[in-house]
Amino acid sequence: MEKKVFLSEKDMPRAWYNIQADLPHPLPPPLNPATGEPITPDMLEAIFPMNLIEQEMSLSRSIPIPDEVLEQLLLWRPTPMYRATALEKRLGTPARIYYKNEGVSPAGSHKPNTSVAQAYYNKEAGIKRLTTETGAGQWGSALAFACNRFGLEIKVYMVRVSFDQKPYRRMMMETWGGTCVPSPSPDTSAGRGFLEADPDHSGSLGIAISEAIEDAVTSENTKYSLGSVLNHVLLHQSVIGLEARKQLESIGEYPDIIIGCAGGGSNFAGIAFPFIRDKIHGKDIRVIASEPTSCPTLTRGHYVYDFGDTAKTTPLLPMYSIGHGFIPAPIHAGGLRYHGMAPLVSRVFTDGLIEAKAYNQLETFAAGIAFARTEGFIPAPETNHAIACAIEEAKRAKEEGKERVILMNFSGHGIIDLPSYDAYLSGKLQDHVMPDEEIEKLLKELDEYPKPK
Amino acid sequence: MEIYCPQLGMMIGISYCLKVQEGLPCRNTFGCWKERVDVAAVLKAKFTDEQLYRAFNTLPKSRLQKILESVRSARREE
Repeated sequence: MEKKVFLSEKDMPRAWYNIQADLPHPLPPPLNPATGEPITPDMLEAIFPMNLIEQEMSLSRSIPIPDEVLEQLLLWRPTPMYRATALEKRLGTPARIYYKNEGVSPAGSHKPNTSVAQAYYNKEAGIKRLTTETGAGQWGSALAFACNRFGLEIKVYMVRVSFDQKPYRRMMMETWGGTCVPSPSPDTSAGRGFLEADPDHSGSLGIAISEAIEDAVTSENTKYSLGSVLNHVLLHQSVIGLEARKQLESIGEYPDIIIGCAGGGSNFAGIAFPFIRDKIHGKDIRVIASEPTSCPTLTRGHYVYDFGDTAKTTPLLPMYSIGHGFIPAPIHAGGLRYHGMAPLVSRVFTDGLIEAKAYNQLETFAAGIAFARTEGFIPAPETNHAIACAIEEAKRAKEEGKERVILMNFSGHGIIDLPSYDAYLSGKLQDHVMPDEEIEKLLKELDEYPKPK
Repeated sequence: MEIYCPQLGMMIGISYCLKVQEGLPCRNTFGCWKERVDVAAVLKAKFTDEQLYRAFNTLPKSRLQKILESVRSARREE
């Protein structure tokens, strides 16, 4: 039995897989929030090049990977597939656990699978410069890497609290020649507005998005790039599952269970969609999206505050937006139950093609530690959700005495996320109650912060 | 006290979560902090019912909607 399953470069997929061609029910068109009418390609042209917009709307099953993109992907692809033998032994499970290691990319995650493609298509369209937003920097660093490969300029608006406290990904962006500024910034009208109200503003993803888009719309030869949620992003990630299928086939295996963590849905879609195609055509498999209990988009929806009655006279009650039969009116009316998730992932979930499971923070870090201490690789914190799910399924296989084959996406390494491991290992992440004096301090801080009218 | 923010991908304190939506709390404040803080009590002490309704019970925007709104807003500024 070999630890790793390689795929030769000549066997790397030459085309991406577009699940839209096989969906039992087509994806409803996205609606323009201003008019309620379907979005047309020209509405997106202000921020995306037409070649990517065509991919966004495409219903073709197979879309060729251009040679120039393939050449860049070959820097780290095909990624190795590992058999998690040490983890299996530790669990005493009869299950065979395989993981696709996307942490071997230059940026350390699956994100460059789409950043490279997006940089290429922008260059082909004559674009000279890209903008984007980033939280802690995973996407920003992936796009900076890709822009460097294709000679594009890039400006990344990084949420200020991350910019100040988590500098390593900013350093990666700058190493690849990108420009990274804290958001809100004085460089855009949106950023200046927030800084005028609060010069020490910590920033948010929403503000960073506004800044990156304003920059793209108002600058010459500049477009915007997004690393998750959109159809063309999920398309580019399909290379993960396509490779995995070939690798498993080469050793005579086929998965019973496919697992990926799901935030915006791109790495999950990458590993899962080529196998969901098989499921649509009759394969008896389970496909599981694992997500945090703190924001369980697929499993429970988001926490909302329910007034109990429309007159708003009853006490406020916090509860989830889906589950227990409760869906707040605006969410129900908008048909937008899984609003943080990629529409294609929401579609396959609604169609019953995938399941979703949620794990709390402590469970996921425990799983990540178990993985690091058996398989050696330190996973990114979001990857830990997939590992927690794989461990749960491997234990179930043991209880049931079944030799199941589990395939999991190891979406990225956690070398730049070590402070969160430090917090876990030092007990700071335990579920203990915040002391009264800390709450009092917090309430005082809030008094000093300007509130919206 | 800090926890790992799944949205930002870093350790964060609750003071950030309580003001991140343009001065209003993050939609995930309950889910993330419920084991550690009486979130409802803190929110009710510091925000009006209307503010909490806006923060938690309004129609959330999809990423594409947010992008299109930002495009419209940027074009107005041009």
